[in-house]
Amino acid sequence: MLDINNVRKDFPFLRSGRIYLDSTATSLTPEPVLRKVLEYYHEYRANVGRGIYNAAQAATFAYENARAEVAKLINAKPNEVIFVRNATEAINLIANGLKFQEGEKIVTTILEHHSNYIVWLRLKNAKKVGLSIVKSDKEGLLSPSDFISHIDRRTRLVAVTQTSNVLGVRPPVKDIVKLAHEEGSFVLVDGAQSVPHAKVDVKELDCDFLAFSGHKMCGPTGVGALYIKEDLQELVEPLCIGGGSIEDVGIEYYRLRSGPGKYEAGTPPIAEAIGMGAAAVYLMNVGMGNIEEHERKLTKRMLQGLANINGIVVYGPRDAEKRAGIVSFNLKGMNPHDVAVALDTASGVMVRSGHHCALPLHKHVLNAPNGTVRASVYLYNNNEDVDVFLETLEEISKTLA
Amino acid sequence: MYSWRPLRRSLKLLHEVLDMRTLYDYYKLFPHTDCGYCGNTSCLTMLRRYCLGNSDLNSCIYFKSGERQTPKISYSPPPLRLPPAENISYIRPCPSEPTKVTIEVNVLPKIHSPYGYFDMITADKIFDHQISNLKISPSLGIARIESEAGDVMIFSEGKVIIRRGADERRAFWEIGKAIRLLWATVNRKIRAESAQ
Repeated sequence: MLDINNVRKDFPFLRSGRIYLDSTATSLTPEPVLRKVLEYYHEYRANVGRGIYNAAQAATFAYENARAEVAKLINAKPNEVIFVRNATEAINLIANGLKFQEGEKIVTTILEHHSNYIVWLRLKNAKKVGLSIVKSDKEGLLSPSDFISHIDRRTRLVAVTQTSNVLGVRPPVKDIVKLAHEEGSFVLVDGAQSVPHAKVDVKELDCDFLAFSGHKMCGPTGVGALYIKEDLQELVEPLCIGGGSIEDVGIEYYRLRSGPGKYEAGTPPIAEAIGMGAAAVYLMNVGMGNIEEHERKLTKRMLQGLANINGIVVYGPRDAEKRAGIVSFNLKGMNPHDVAVALDTASGVMVRSGHHCALPLHKHVLNAPNGTVRASVYLYNNNEDVDVFLETLEEISKTLA
Repeated sequence: MYSWRPLRRSLKLLHEVLDMRTLYDYYKLFPHTDCGYCGNTSCLTMLRRYCLGNSDLNSCIYFKSGERQTPKISYSPPPLRLPPAENISYIRPCPSEPTKVTIEVNVLPKIHSPYGYFDMITADKIFDHQISNLKISPSLGIARIESEAGDVMIFSEGKVIIRRGADERRAFWEIGKAIRLLWATVNRKIRAESAQ
């Protein structure tokens, strides 16, 4: 069980009584993570991997320790975790690092966030790589069989989200990985919305790459992680090279290091990475299973409440079991931005409105070209948050719509 | 014949939005009949809409028939002279809609009144269903005016938000329209009450 009152005390942002229902965009940061970041600046502010003095050693230790903690969160080895700026950079690293050739094919889905969509469109245009988009049903649900006709021998990569950032639906990634591996293709999982909210085990999933962001999992902004299976690191070239990523340099040659260092040229975001490590520890202490269960309860409450409000159209499955803690909806007769502004001004409820960086999904599946309102929950939200949100929304529906 | 006075007044209203002198020069070339054939209420409206890219000079019967020479208007409206930046913020709420601007105006930053700056309870009494596209929520302290392409939302604590699927210029146009609509209704109500 998650002790909600204790958890809430850790989040200074909540002290003013605001109701934060936009954790899908970015999460709040708890005190232990903030302390850890500040500790670096106060106590051992030095560069990592360079320097013999005490503080430099302490910084390097903390940085590598953070990598180990993040690896533990997803059950990977520390040298399989690369610190990047965010999930978007991680996906771009794979898109550029795999050195796609003309005639090869990439498979992705209509559910994807732009970050896991337009990178493939760019490859398609620039390198004449084939791109195949798997379409979902009206609720955003996908089944493994939907992928069968798309994945073939030409397919080099399947890029799929583990949790849709609009509908909260979870494509059957494990089955997709199996299918893809049978055809000899790699699988990149966009874990931006799944790693922070549920137990993700890369060994069990058997995916080749997993991208996720620190700021969505109670960590600082500006840092994310990319998991690359150990034996594939030879194959993936770094996005940029320079100081820190080399083993040897001569006048006319250079040799890159192996391991995560190869991808982390230049001074990395040290404080942020240390913060991301602290966030991983924080989440593991609360328990990923507990977080998932807590979110499921809140989502159920939210879905039930929304069903009773006039004029609300909820997108995606109505069943809380089939989705993560993300609910997108529209109020008939009102633009999503107006609903969001009214919620904020009237009751301090913060929700996202617009297209949530998933235009193809809004245009072609949801038929909501003006966008949707999205409310999402995390470990620090409680029943009262959901109730205030629902009550205000009901009042908006009665008086303003 | 048109009279100069109202025209001057309307042009003054436009002062904030368009370069008055240039617009006036073009206006001289118009027929000044305010016949309504083009679908606009006046020649000035037609010119204004043309300058904003919303109408076609050929929809004017005088220009079309050749009775009056069609003026060559190479006029692109000058950059909007926006009100002082204080208390006004421009928000682009979704990166996928970079052209859609929401403007937030704080009429008065901090008002300590139980009713707020805009009293929605009284407003509800005054406007009670008189304007079909005006909705007032006394409980939430929010009023909302719908228009063709966007909304104006007014909040009791003194905030006004104009959301238009367009640029800053249009958003200001929209708020001006909303204010005129409200005043017209108040005036009508006052007239009706004094006639009783």
